Amino acid sequence: MEQLAQALAERIVPLVIEAIDIDALIDRVDIDKVVNRVDVDKVIGKVDVDKIIDRVDVEKIIERVDLEKVIERVDINAIIEKVNIDALVEQTELGSIIARSTTGIVTEILDVIRAQGVGLDDFIFRWGNRLIGRRRRIAQWPEGPPLLVERKVAPVP
Amino acid sequence: MTVSAPSPELTVGRQGHYAGAVSRLVAFGADVGASWGLYTLGVALFNAAYKLVTGSSYNLSNHQILAVVVLAIWEFLYYSYQWAVGGRTIGMAVFGLQVVTAEGGPIGARQAVLRTLGLALSVAFFWFAFWGIIFQRERRALDDFIAGTAVIYSWDARAARLRWIARTEGTTHGAVLHQQVQEHRLEPEQGATSQP
Repeated sequence: MEQLAQALAERIVPLVIEAIDIDALIDRVDIDKVVNRVDVDKVIGKVDVDKIIDRVDVEKIIERVDLEKVIERVDINAIIEKVNIDALVEQTELGSIIARSTTGIVTEILDVIRAQGVGLDDFIFRWGNRLIGRRRRIAQWPEGPPLLVERKVAPVP
Repeated sequence: MTVSAPSPELTVGRQGHYAGAVSRLVAFGADVGASWGLYTLGVALFNAAYKLVTGSSYNLSNHQILAVVVLAIWEFLYYSYQWAVGGRTIGMAVFGLQVVTAEGGPIGARQAVLRTLGLALSVAFFWFAFWGIIFQRERRALDDFIAGTAVIYSWDARAARLRWIARTEGTTHGAVLHQQVQEHRLEPEQGATSQP
């Protein structure tokens, strides 16, 4: 009897498997639902990370990394632009180091005089052109030479 | 009383921009003073050296034509040499200005010489030559057009600003930090005395 069942199973199972459309079956499986039911934390808990790390040859990986290529791809200027130097100097001891390391107050006085000069330049330039009716036109004028300052783009009407 | 740092819009944000009339005029005044002072010093040194060597005195101001020629050569050298070497004269360096090409690059010896000659023309025809600094779109005067140059603001405003911040906010913060460190050092001792 058992032999008969065995023989029947051997005949029927391949026929059933052939008859099943595996793709259609997979399409009907809700993968998200399956994934949601998996306890990932439990799986991770079973993994011995230390053992894996011990097996990784970090030195070999570092040797294989082309650091120069990585550095070349990093936009250092963009990073520096994001750093708030003013805040850095204000909020760290760097400020007192700079203050101690620089001599004299002359450069700061000069900076004030120069800034005052720039303010007066603006005043004369603005009012001089306003008097001859070019108030709006000067807004489109370049601020500096093309190699040093980006040209203003005229607004689209 | 602490003076706050100048606005970054008027310092850091203006580097590379066309310089205006007041800064340029004041820098030119400083240059006239500096060149005249150096000329007077040179003449005095020459007179002293001449007297030391020959025993007789020679006063250049008694020979007016020669004095004018020497002064003209001196002024020419004063401006053209400094512009050729660094794009700025003593006065321009003090007021943070620099001569560049119309495109913004460094100027050469030829442009420095042309600009010096142009400046002489500008001084001779002051009233129209300098109006360009206010009314021309690239703030260029006659000497700039002759030499193909422009004048820009160019000083180390970033470093000056950091020094300002360091001297005012930075030092204050440093003092506060130092005080905090001192207090922190005292805390365990105070705690120790309160324990039985």
